[in-house]
Amino acid sequence: MARMGMVFDIRRCIGCNACVVGCKQENSLPDGVFFTRTLSEDYGVYPNAGRVYIPTLCNHCEDAPCEKVCPSGATYTREDGIVMVDDNKCIGCNSCAVACPYDQRTALGKDLFEKGLFGEGELTAFEEQGYTRFTPGTVTKCDFCSERVDAGLDPACVVTCPTDARIFGDLDDPESKPAKLIKERGGRPPMPEKNTKPKVYYVT
Amino acid sequence: MATRDFPIVGDSLVLGYRFQRHWDNSMATAFFFGELGAGLFLIGALYGSLISMIFGVSITAILKTYFHMAHMGVPGRAWRAMIRPDRSWISRGFISIVVFTGAALLNILLNGFGLAETLGGGAVVSAIAWLMKVLSIMAALFVMTYHGFAIADSSSISFWNTGLMPVSSVAYSALSGVVLALSLDPAATAAGTFLLPSAHGAALILLVVTTIVLLAMINAANRGSPGARKSVRLLLKDGPYAAWFFGIVMAVGLLLPFVLLVLSEPNRLVYLVTAAAILAGYFSFRVLVFKIGLYDPIISFAPET
Repeated sequence: MARMGMVFDIRRCIGCNACVVGCKQENSLPDGVFFTRTLSEDYGVYPNAGRVYIPTLCNHCEDAPCEKVCPSGATYTREDGIVMVDDNKCIGCNSCAVACPYDQRTALGKDLFEKGLFGEGELTAFEEQGYTRFTPGTVTKCDFCSERVDAGLDPACVVTCPTDARIFGDLDDPESKPAKLIKERGGRPPMPEKNTKPKVYYVT
Repeated sequence: MATRDFPIVGDSLVLGYRFQRHWDNSMATAFFFGELGAGLFLIGALYGSLISMIFGVSITAILKTYFHMAHMGVPGRAWRAMIRPDRSWISRGFISIVVFTGAALLNILLNGFGLAETLGGGAVVSAIAWLMKVLSIMAALFVMTYHGFAIADSSSISFWNTGLMPVSSVAYSALSGVVLALSLDPAATAAGTFLLPSAHGAALILLVVTTIVLLAMINAANRGSPGARKSVRLLLKDGPYAAWFFGIVMAVGLLLPFVLLVLSEPNRLVYLVTAAAILAGYFSFRVLVFKIGLYDPIISFAPET
């Protein structure tokens, strides 16, 4: 069975946030909810200063602490390694959000679905069709666009990235692009000291 | 683990420490009432104070449940929280609350109100009464402890991830239970038994123990990971939390009660003031632990200098 994962090529990321917008559009995310973010890190002192961009999303950990602490069994891992949330089971206790070292979980407050993106209490047609996929009060996160993956497509953030800084594929397939990148350029998982075995790697 | 000194960045899109805001004041209040009620019940059971037992189980069953429901996104599915006791402290806690409430109520009815004798006091009834007594005490002990485990289980927040967290839960729970029992029922708790000191003496001992545990926890965090050190700095030096910690948790919550218990003539008013001070400090501690929780920066790509 495949073990789906992602590689971020830090050299290529230009911090344009197209991935963030693509993700929000694909998943109809309400105001303030992000499944992926691009963080920046400044270093050095002028004139020898620099900035790197660090894309982040759910790391779909093999030993996912969010799944371990979930009291209702809402968080589970698919056969292909994608960590999912069943919002029919989620009780919204936020234990998973507290347990995730990467802070990649978001509670869907009920008010998010009432005020709308423009904060005027009226939902746009885009919001009306998109919000039906969410259950207010539950906790949500990135699922690697599982519907797209099931259809043989890459996640929305990957296809939106103009610089190919996000590479998605089967980490267990030595011929896949992400597996090769990890091997050739020494992929680093985020926070390895947390022992969560992330399926997201960074290469520089 | 972060090696650079990263800033606390809030929700901005910059690499750095982020506050946890997922468990908020309602969760802290639920934990507070859970521990307070279980501690009060346990002290009531040990010292034979029926009113303390009744208040204890009521606080846990009603107030803790209310604040958990207030925190929960989908309270209608709360029952689902009990289905993963094999791996989740929240599940274990949920089950222990149900067991504690049931066993404590039966214990109060059978032993406290003498229902066991009214029912004839046969072998079966006596056995059930004894079983409920033991079960309610064991469940109370579990409730006093599990909150600490539920918090410490989160390795994502370094300050929380310490074995001293459950110890602090038990210490604070027992301390608040004993001073509240002294206020509610000074007569019943005045004298100790052959195994227990007087409740007054127990309160003094627990005050010292709680202070030591608290200081040990802060010291351990300060010698731990950068994230834990950052949390300690928030608690002791930076921002509004330091005044809150030193003023309410330490001075009002621990020092003032110690002075009152040592220097004042024991009477109900002193116990009431002592209990109010300790509960204020304890509640502040619960809230502050959640407020100073920080997520570490996920990964750094700054060149080594």
